[in-house]
Amino acid sequence: MDLSFSLYLPIAGNSVNILVILGLGGAVGLLSGIFGVGGGFLMTPLLMMFGIPPTVAAASDSNQIVGASTSGTFAHFRLGNVDFKMGLLLLVGGIAGGSVGVQIIKVLRQLGNADFLISVTYVLMLGFVGGYMFLESLQSMRASGRPQTDSKPKPESTYARMIRSMPFQMDFPRSGIRISVLMPLVLGTMVGVLAAIMGVGGGFIMVPVMVYLLRMPMHVVVGTSLFQILFTCINVTIMQASQNHTVDFVLALLLLLASSVGAQVGAKVGKKLGGEQLKILLASLVLMVMVKMLYDLLATPDVLLAYMGGH
Amino acid sequence: MPAYFLRSICLFLLLGLVPAGAAMAAGEVSVTSSPGDILMDARYDGTTLEVSGQAPAGSDVVVRLVGAPETVHLREKGKVFGLLWMNVGTLAFDNVPRIYLVSASRAFDDLGPAGASLRVTGLHDRIVQEHAASSQDLDAVSELLRLKVRDGLYGEPAQQVRLSADEGGSRGFTVTLPVPSALSPGGYTLEAVAVRDGAVIGSASAPVQAKLIGLPAWLSHMAFDNGLLYGILATVIAILSGLAIGLVFQSKGAH
Repeated sequence: MDLSFSLYLPIAGNSVNILVILGLGGAVGLLSGIFGVGGGFLMTPLLMMFGIPPTVAAASDSNQIVGASTSGTFAHFRLGNVDFKMGLLLLVGGIAGGSVGVQIIKVLRQLGNADFLISVTYVLMLGFVGGYMFLESLQSMRASGRPQTDSKPKPESTYARMIRSMPFQMDFPRSGIRISVLMPLVLGTMVGVLAAIMGVGGGFIMVPVMVYLLRMPMHVVVGTSLFQILFTCINVTIMQASQNHTVDFVLALLLLLASSVGAQVGAKVGKKLGGEQLKILLASLVLMVMVKMLYDLLATPDVLLAYMGGH
Repeated sequence: MPAYFLRSICLFLLLGLVPAGAAMAAGEVSVTSSPGDILMDARYDGTTLEVSGQAPAGSDVVVRLVGAPETVHLREKGKVFGLLWMNVGTLAFDNVPRIYLVSASRAFDDLGPAGASLRVTGLHDRIVQEHAASSQDLDAVSELLRLKVRDGLYGEPAQQVRLSADEGGSRGFTVTLPVPSALSPGGYTLEAVAVRDGAVIGSASAPVQAKLIGLPAWLSHMAFDNGLLYGILATVIAILSGLAIGLVFQSKGAH
């Protein structure tokens, strides 16, 4: 009997090994469930390594994230970790910001230096977000060495006073905070702009924003982030499928079956880890991706031409 | 426009896709493949073509599978500020065969000018770069060839064409040509070229169709002809699968 695991993907225009794709999906899904990130910033380059064209990799990955984040949101919802009110406000901001970001990219492309700006934004954002999170969680892990609880009274900062004095204050009982409605709307817009420029879902920027600027508890952040990613990716999948025909559903389905299982396991693993441990692990992951991107920018490529699409 | 048209025709002739008529008239070169067409179903993972035919006695044979020439747009990578490698512009190339797999009955170096022209690097003179690259010392066409070779779309398969002994005025030849999994559906030309004393003395060609069948054909039809519906279905199925897996885990996790 011919025991081959190859499968031909007509939209990607290449064949893949089913076991490899299931493995990739499972691993990225696990990270997604633990950290509340879509995992697009990891999956797309991995798929490209296995012969999937960049545009198809990015679009099919959005399709996959729809499934994985449904499963992840569901798991976190049962654990009481989804702040729907906050998620919806961030989403509204994110959609507005995404539209602005797409226009910015168009203008930059006409000016001719979009790619340079995208690459530099990417490395700086990853480096800044990863570095800050890493140092911050390291400090608080040292500071709270004895008691394992997160409640440590701090003197009220200027930032805290500023957000308390903003208008339209509202209670977010699930996150246990009271802030102005403007905060999630404005921050959502800013992340939306960045995500559109960088061509990613924005989970890895949104998570630190929720933790540090909205001061939400880490576990609620993860669930809420997944909830928001779900809607962003539904939008991207339908747009890509109808306009660019780049969604390979068979590839997406294989990835999502594996990643949904991974995300469920991830949600359970995440619950066992402390908030600070989660932060420092995510920070390490983000820094690793940054180093890889920096390496790609500095090292001489094998071939001095590349296909269109991707970053 | 007429100049472009004329150039295209010349290049097409140079590529050697249509000289079959002249050679066939002499009745000396012939080529067939098994299977005649490439059928791409869900299990398609590249395939092999068993190519055979006849060539004039005492000649060497080069067999190639060539895709239709197309225009290709690629990004040019260059150094910015003498430090960072990134996309510095786009380049367009004309007359780029979609695929170019070529095998010969002996080393290309031993086949003289004809061998040099027929091997992958011989495409260098036939591919047209539309405008200069941003970096002056970049040989963009060579980079394009390297990119295609890396992706398995251009190549000189290790296996050589096997020749049988001369019989009358001709000799038989066979070769197994591996076809990559990244082949796009469409029309290809299989060609056998007879070479003697470094010159082409005849050739013959046969069309090879690569077509999607079964599930890939249906999916491709859905994705390209009903994009919106396809996108919505893909999303709904993804959500339902996500929920189903969530429920499975919920029932397992209940205690």
